[in-house]
Amino acid sequence: MNFYSIIAAEDPSLSHHWLFPEIGEIIYGGLASLIIFGALYKFGWPAAKKGLEARTAKIQKELDDAAAALKQATSDAANIRTALGDVASERARILAEADAQAAAVLAEGRARIAAEVADMEARATAEIEAARARSGDELRAEIARLSAAATTDAVRAALDERTQQELIDGFIAKVGAGR
Amino acid sequence: MSSQQITAYVTAMFEIAVANDVLATVEDEMFRLARAYETNEALRGSLGDTSLPIERRQKIVEQLLGGKAHNVTVQLASMLVGTGHVSLLPQVADALVKRASSEKQLEVAEVRTAVALSDAQKTRLVDALAKATGKRVNLKVVVDPSVIGGVVATVGDDVIDDSVRTRLDQVKARL
Repeated sequence: MNFYSIIAAEDPSLSHHWLFPEIGEIIYGGLASLIIFGALYKFGWPAAKKGLEARTAKIQKELDDAAAALKQATSDAANIRTALGDVASERARILAEADAQAAAVLAEGRARIAAEVADMEARATAEIEAARARSGDELRAEIARLSAAATTDAVRAALDERTQQELIDGFIAKVGAGR
Repeated sequence: MSSQQITAYVTAMFEIAVANDVLATVEDEMFRLARAYETNEALRGSLGDTSLPIERRQKIVEQLLGGKAHNVTVQLASMLVGTGHVSLLPQVADALVKRASSEKQLEVAEVRTAVALSDAQKTRLVDALAKATGKRVNLKVVVDPSVIGGVVATVGDDVIDDSVRTRLDQVKARL
């Protein structure tokens, strides 16, 4: 006979109350329950508590990891956005710098070419003037040379013996007179 | 070295000319020979041509001066050629003239003209230069066609230039 057959076999009419059990049952049952709860509390609760704590710790760790991952992801995203912004600004800076350099080179080239052209013009003008002056000087020198040669020839032709003697006598007279 | 050589030659020539009592003649002829040597390139080339034998060059001197210059002058000029120092002829002649003039307390007056001077002109020129410079002068006339006309007289450091060449040069400068 098992426990269920015993309960089923009990006669409700033999009980002192249709709802409440016998006092002895209450005492024994209560004691048994206290023992069971005490045993559960002593032996089962630490394990359960440990499991719960482990579970809590695991969940917390996962939450922390997720938060850290989120934070890292947010930071990476911010870095990427910053980097993208830096790249854009660097690109803009490089392009601006290149534009400025190109403009400076262009301006310098224009200025240099203008200076060289001006210098060449000045040199050409000076050379033209010099050539003109040279030509004039050479012409004047040639005229002077020809004139001098013609004058010398004319004087030589005019200096006959009588004139030569007159020049010598004139010199003697002038020197003798005390110059 | 050439200065010592010139002094030595001048001393020797002076003594020889004095000993023969022909100083005035010798110094005048040496002076004229020196001027001919200076102005005649062919003469300079011949007398200075070391490829010619010395005797040949001395013969040229004798032929050039023979009958026109005193024998002492010919021998002294020939000596310069014979010793290979004919290039010193102008300096030796000028130094000899200067020394001879100093002996007579005269200042050398070198006069360049385009034509030769008559004896009368030389006499008057000596007097005129003496009056102008205050010195008694030993006149040496050089006929120099480059003067063209007129006279250039040099007495010591004084130069009296009244030549046509100088006037023409002034005209050229103005041109």
